[in-house]
Amino acid sequence: MKVEIFDPPMCCPTGLCGPTVDPVLLDVNEMVLKLKAEGVQVERYMLSAQPQAFVSNAEVYSLVRERQIAALPITLVNGRVIKTGAYPDMQEVRQALEP
Amino acid sequence: MPARFLFFAGKGGVGKTSMACATAVHLADQGTRTLIVTTDPASNLADVFGQPIGHRITAIEGVRGLFAMEIDPDRATQEYKDRALGPVRAFFPAEVVRVMEEQMNSPCTAEIAAFDRFTDFIDSPSGAGGEFAVVVFDTAPTGHTLRLLELPAEWSRTIEEAARTGGQTCVGPAAAIQAQKAKYDRALQVMRDPGRASFTFVLLPEASSVRETRRAVSELKRIGIQDFHLIINGIVPFAETVNPFFRDRSNMQQANLDPIQEDLPYPARKMFLLDGEIAGVPGLRRVAGMLVGADADYRISRHVPEPKTVGPAIPSTSAGRAALPRILPVNGRRTLFFAGKGGVGKTVISCVTAAWVAQQRYRTLLLSTDPAEHLSDVLETQVTAEPAPYPGIPDLYVTKIDAVAAADAYKARILADAASRGRSPEAVAAMAEELNSPCTEEMAAFDKFIEYASQDGWDVIVFDTAPTGHTLRLLELPVDWSRQLEVKIYASVDTAAADEVAKKRFGDVIEMMRDPARCTFAYVMYPESTPIVESARAMDELRTVGIEPGLVVANQVLPAEVCITPYAAARRKMQDTYLAEMRTRFNVPILLVPLLSTEVSGIDMLVDLGRQVYGEDIR
Repeated sequence: MKVEIFDPPMCCPTGLCGPTVDPVLLDVNEMVLKLKAEGVQVERYMLSAQPQAFVSNAEVYSLVRERQIAALPITLVNGRVIKTGAYPDMQEVRQALEP
Repeated sequence: MPARFLFFAGKGGVGKTSMACATAVHLADQGTRTLIVTTDPASNLADVFGQPIGHRITAIEGVRGLFAMEIDPDRATQEYKDRALGPVRAFFPAEVVRVMEEQMNSPCTAEIAAFDRFTDFIDSPSGAGGEFAVVVFDTAPTGHTLRLLELPAEWSRTIEEAARTGGQTCVGPAAAIQAQKAKYDRALQVMRDPGRASFTFVLLPEASSVRETRRAVSELKRIGIQDFHLIINGIVPFAETVNPFFRDRSNMQQANLDPIQEDLPYPARKMFLLDGEIAGVPGLRRVAGMLVGADADYRISRHVPEPKTVGPAIPSTSAGRAALPRILPVNGRRTLFFAGKGGVGKTVISCVTAAWVAQQRYRTLLLSTDPAEHLSDVLETQVTAEPAPYPGIPDLYVTKIDAVAAADAYKARILADAASRGRSPEAVAAMAEELNSPCTEEMAAFDKFIEYASQDGWDVIVFDTAPTGHTLRLLELPVDWSRQLEVKIYASVDTAAADEVAKKRFGDVIEMMRDPARCTFAYVMYPESTPIVESARAMDELRTVGIEPGLVVANQVLPAEVCITPYAAARRKMQDTYLAEMRTRFNVPILLVPLLSTEVSGIDMLVDLGRQVYGEDIR
């Protein structure tokens, strides 16, 4: 069971950086924590730190080349793209995780 | 043999750069391949060597084996961004690259980049075709430097904690930046090794300088740094004590020498106050000779002009009177910023001005933004993070921006808000750890600065700022963050509204700082070359964000009546040359403040000096 999130370029993925707090990113962080606590493997990739991860996943790479920034973030569950252009909520991830 | 690292630190204006340069010249003259690097964003290295240096390793003319570099935060940021963007440029469409570059324009990146470049020097001390045997760091004034030296430890810890929990940090996912963590750990290990790194504090035999050194040493001890040395600078030569003014200064200095030996029991060297400026390599060689002891029986030179040539006696209150329209409120609140190189007397001038203005029955707030704050010393009262009345002057209130306290309050506020919005305890705990990142402190101090800069209920607010480099950054942050909020791509509706509020707040402060009817930027300097050059540079930089200088303060001018010995006359003659330069160079009123034979502190001295500068009460 594996969830992968390819983040859009941003100053800071924590949502806590800068003059205002970003609740969307806090929601994502909270979801990641919950999933991890349930034993799901979660990986997040940042373009600034791991561009290679974006390139080596063929589907992610072609989405970004085609739709550019609008494609991000991209979420994969067990290797399959489940959402692009926005973060999924917990329910969407759970559904995709069901066998 | 692995390279050795010599750090020169200390309060601003104590002669760090001169001592660091003299040491570097001496090492190179002995055949040691030496690099001197300045981490001060307002560097004076080029001025001292009299040649352009800049953000690259440059050979110093006339000294074999000596190289120098001035870390330029903007260039370091660009290099850092290029490193991250390189692989993205190769593989991704232009729009993606553009957005990523915009996101990396955040003010955080600049801080991380400058610090990352600093650790590079420790990790791999080479350049210009070879390894360096010694790297001399001429650091920024204390507050800024302590932060730089503590950052390797803090980032290392932040990355480690992130790896255990959410996995995210500002610089990237913890898993992806383990190499960076290892580099920071290695830098820290080197700094802790007395065989490889030593820290020389340059200080003056004055109570405030001794106190600041003591504080800095104890902070560095906390991160495991052990090897300390002292250079006690600016000692009045014994021969000059025939001059009563310098005899008083000498007595004040002697009284401070004993506590230094007691409180700071480290190997110490002494340096005399020279009768002129140290300029160029020959001047540095002369100082090096004095430092290493070969010329220990140095006597001040006697062939100097007759004292007849000194300028008008000071103090003169006419300059202070002329400056009043820029000091007092016109309509609404007046905000005063006292800025300048470290050690030029910003704090004393801020206190004197605030005290005088408050005595004219204006409700006045005096506020320090300097992480190494000296207000408490000068006011002889404990300045706290909340504004408190100053005993003895009814309309004067004092406070300071305490970055640590501000960060704690900022964290508490965000976490309480998160909890009240129903976030899980686990999520709040993870947020708490993420907020322990070094970014938070700067953000919180900045938030506090904006709060005060837009606060109602005061007639006058006097900002006693940190030394130039640090202050320029603080003052430009509202502009930088406004711009960053514009390009934020991932914002929910809630955040967008909050961003608008933040932008409005920053916009109001920017507008106030640009309005000469409401705000005055006063640049404090003593009449010598480097403070003038540094202030001129700062003025140019702030002009780019629309802030014009309003006032110049010439501090520590030798009163004519004390220039009765050749030594004092020579110093005053040098000052006159620079006072003339200041008048032609800066097109604003210039206040003259005399050098006193004792340190300025306590209400009586402040009030007295205020009358000398601004004249008798006007209302």
